[in-house]
Amino acid sequence: MTTIRFKTALLAGVVLLPSAFFLTGCQTAETRTIDASGPQALNTGGINSQDWYTAADQLVGSLITSGALDKTPVQPSVLAIDRILNNTQLNIDTDLLIKKIRVALLQTGKVVVTNTMGLGERAVVASEAAEMDEMTTGKKAKVIVPNYTLYGKLIQQVDRLNGVTQNTYSFQMSLVDVKTGLTVWEDDRAIAKQTKKSTLGW
Amino acid sequence: MKTSLRFLAAAGLLAVVSGCATNVNTVERAQSQATPNYVSDKRVITDNTLARTVRVDAIKQAVVSGNLLKIQATLTNLKNDLRSVRYKFEWIDKDGMSVGGPTEGWRVLQLQGRESLDISTVAVSPRAVDFVLKISEL
Repeated sequence: MTTIRFKTALLAGVVLLPSAFFLTGCQTAETRTIDASGPQALNTGGINSQDWYTAADQLVGSLITSGALDKTPVQPSVLAIDRILNNTQLNIDTDLLIKKIRVALLQTGKVVVTNTMGLGERAVVASEAAEMDEMTTGKKAKVIVPNYTLYGKLIQQVDRLNGVTQNTYSFQMSLVDVKTGLTVWEDDRAIAKQTKKSTLGW
Repeated sequence: MKTSLRFLAAAGLLAVVSGCATNVNTVERAQSQATPNYVSDKRVITDNTLARTVRVDAIKQAVVSGNLLKIQATLTNLKNDLRSVRYKFEWIDKDGMSVGGPTEGWRVLQLQGRESLDISTVAVSPRAVDFVLKISEL
């Protein structure tokens, strides 16, 4: 009798317990923290985290190398961020691109970014703060006119052939001299992604 | 029967070998007018397979916008078919510390058979004086 109980307990311990762990273990979601700009980032048909870094790096490199920011009489140049149009089918926040570009340009020391002009919540707050300062001090707040405005556009082109879908994302950006209205720099960088549809259909 | 099997195998092998070839031919000026500033480099190989597939031919440097370092590396695919690699530039300041940039990260590069391509980046910080180029297989 004792032997049977021992065998039952052994069976439960050796076979059933690991099986239970195995079965429940399969249902556990595994989450790991990765480098957003690293090789483990999920690659999808959309614009993934790595693509934002790539596009920002290429556009910043192109803008700096052009020398356009060095031509203002007073350094650093004052830059206002204009509208970044999202003409893709993706519901994305364009700050994913523009913030990286702003941070990079500020780090170069070649530009300062004005918040009293341009778009976005920060610009509104900065404008209100300037108005408040004007009201309390009675002095007209000095608004620094930007030397340049930066605007951009994201475009998506979709092509399909033989079960392969290609999404080509264009990251277009232009720098405009405020005094002359002339475009002093612009670039267009593209990232193309091909997705093959599963033949099994699931 | 044996002959036709051999023929099929040979045809298949030929199709595989020639079908995958995407080699790139190039033409350029015989006497280059450029005077590049080459960087003498130190290499650490931890993946011999990758080193036999993609070679770093040369690294050049330039200063842009007055005080920002630009690095350009020429990579060559040593194989006869399309190869993809990942690469990343990291910047180092004069004290040997990493200068992380907001746009720093891994990039994907595709090289056709025997093709050479230039990859480049500009340091966004004037503090950057050195660099590390990392390359890994995709």
